Amino acid sequence: MKQQKRSGGKEGPSKSHSDIRRKASDGDAVVMTAMEFKEFVRSNGVEKAAREVDLVTTATFGAMCSSGAYFNVGHSDPPIKMQRAWLDGVPAYAGLAAVDIFLGATELDETNNMLHGGAHVIEDLVRGKAVRLRATAHGTDCYPLREIDTYVSLKTMNQAVLMSPRNAYQNYVAATNSSAKTLYTYMGKLLPEFGNATYSCAGELSPLLNDPYYRTIGIGSRIFLGGGDGFVVWEGTQFNPGVARTPRGVPKRPSGSLAVIGDLKQMTGDFVKGLTFTRYGASLGIGIGVPIPIIDEDMANACSITNDKIVTGLFDYAQQRRSRPCLRDVTYEELSSGEIEVEGKTVPTSPLSSIYKARQIAEILKKRILKGEFEVTEPVQRLPMDRPLRPLEVRSEKEAMQ
Amino acid sequence: MKTKLVLNFNPEASNRPITHDLIAKHGLLVNILRAEIDEVGGKMVIEVSGKAESIKNGIDYLKDSGVGVRPIKEGVRRDDDACIHCGVCISICPTNALTLDRKTRKVVFIEEKCVACGVCIDACPPRAMEILI
Repeated sequence: MKQQKRSGGKEGPSKSHSDIRRKASDGDAVVMTAMEFKEFVRSNGVEKAAREVDLVTTATFGAMCSSGAYFNVGHSDPPIKMQRAWLDGVPAYAGLAAVDIFLGATELDETNNMLHGGAHVIEDLVRGKAVRLRATAHGTDCYPLREIDTYVSLKTMNQAVLMSPRNAYQNYVAATNSSAKTLYTYMGKLLPEFGNATYSCAGELSPLLNDPYYRTIGIGSRIFLGGGDGFVVWEGTQFNPGVARTPRGVPKRPSGSLAVIGDLKQMTGDFVKGLTFTRYGASLGIGIGVPIPIIDEDMANACSITNDKIVTGLFDYAQQRRSRPCLRDVTYEELSSGEIEVEGKTVPTSPLSSIYKARQIAEILKKRILKGEFEVTEPVQRLPMDRPLRPLEVRSEKEAMQ
Repeated sequence: MKTKLVLNFNPEASNRPITHDLIAKHGLLVNILRAEIDEVGGKMVIEVSGKAESIKNGIDYLKDSGVGVRPIKEGVRRDDDACIHCGVCISICPTNALTLDRKTRKVVFIEEKCVACGVCIDACPPRAMEILI
């Protein structure tokens, strides 16, 4: 793996993160959405933007499969140490103490209903609905109850916390289908013979594409998560900063990602949405917004990135292998134009990521910062630049330890 | 004028060349949007264009032939509260009834262009599209 070096922080005058935070808490910060900032740079240049703008709000809204929530549902009388648990028929992981359970977004209803999964239960809870909780247990001297069937809601639960191992991917691939049959994938319905192409990234609005070397977004960053406040808690799974980058440092393939946490009780159904991908299953649509402090000219330059300068690869999902051939590199400007050229054919494109909602989030976050309702934080630890991405092979015990 | 019709017919009526008759005898342009047939009969969704009087005569002819006729104003409905405006549907809609407004980035549903083919129904991640026929 090629190790990437962080760049930046060398050009022009700089403002410290704490100066920006102080200005924000005093209500004196100049805050712009990513859309406004790019326009400002186009008209006024990077130098002026770095001098005059303090914070830029970036955002994304899309299907984020590696999401989930944990709950403490409270103790029953007599008490139970739940071994197996279901929320509205969707299995939740109960191997955590007695009444802590974790519900994964892509877990499916046990009645073999692929239209209903953990993501839909999470949305129902956020919308204030009661969901049926069933649990079974072995029964112990300290937890004698062996079965319970009841209802819970966000009002009855002690903690209800969204905890996603991988959200806000820094770039993602585009998908198409060369085969003669329709493919149903997590990238949507892919029509035969290059009938369409889909992509799943907010492009120039996306948080990590505006901070490609993770100079300001890190562990401890407060973020907008599903309508409420959340935090970046770790690098996201499959964090892979070593992929090829453009001359401006923007990854050309899926790269970094964020593990995030936030109180489900603060969230809203507008930004937490159960999604169904036919014959794939459930996924959770989540809205995430991240403020980026413009600490220097390099940061201003990074946040001025536009869709014509962000590249991803178009892959053929007819190849059902880990490594699919890349048909071509394509910019988000081309993808968002509605059609691209693939092997001599004009192919219509569809986003999976809602730019409409991402823009809404960037606006809301800006307003919250200006009103003093959202406190900007400085990361307590930076995200790594040296993580290889390892595959899963069938190995011997000895090989696995090498 | 142009109108969309849902036709329901029993096995006997299935054997009659009703689309041919609508075209040849009543001078109508017929676009078949959906067609299903099974052991208990068939269902067709067609769009007919022609003079108002010809359309009326065509409908009378269908009714006389034992075909159930129901005009439809809408074949597919969108739940605007459920739509997240992602745009998954825009590249699979064969008639461009679903498009992305380049300025607002909202998905626009132009019902007049919709032929109720139904390909958007199972492609929509928040399941905002519903077929009514």
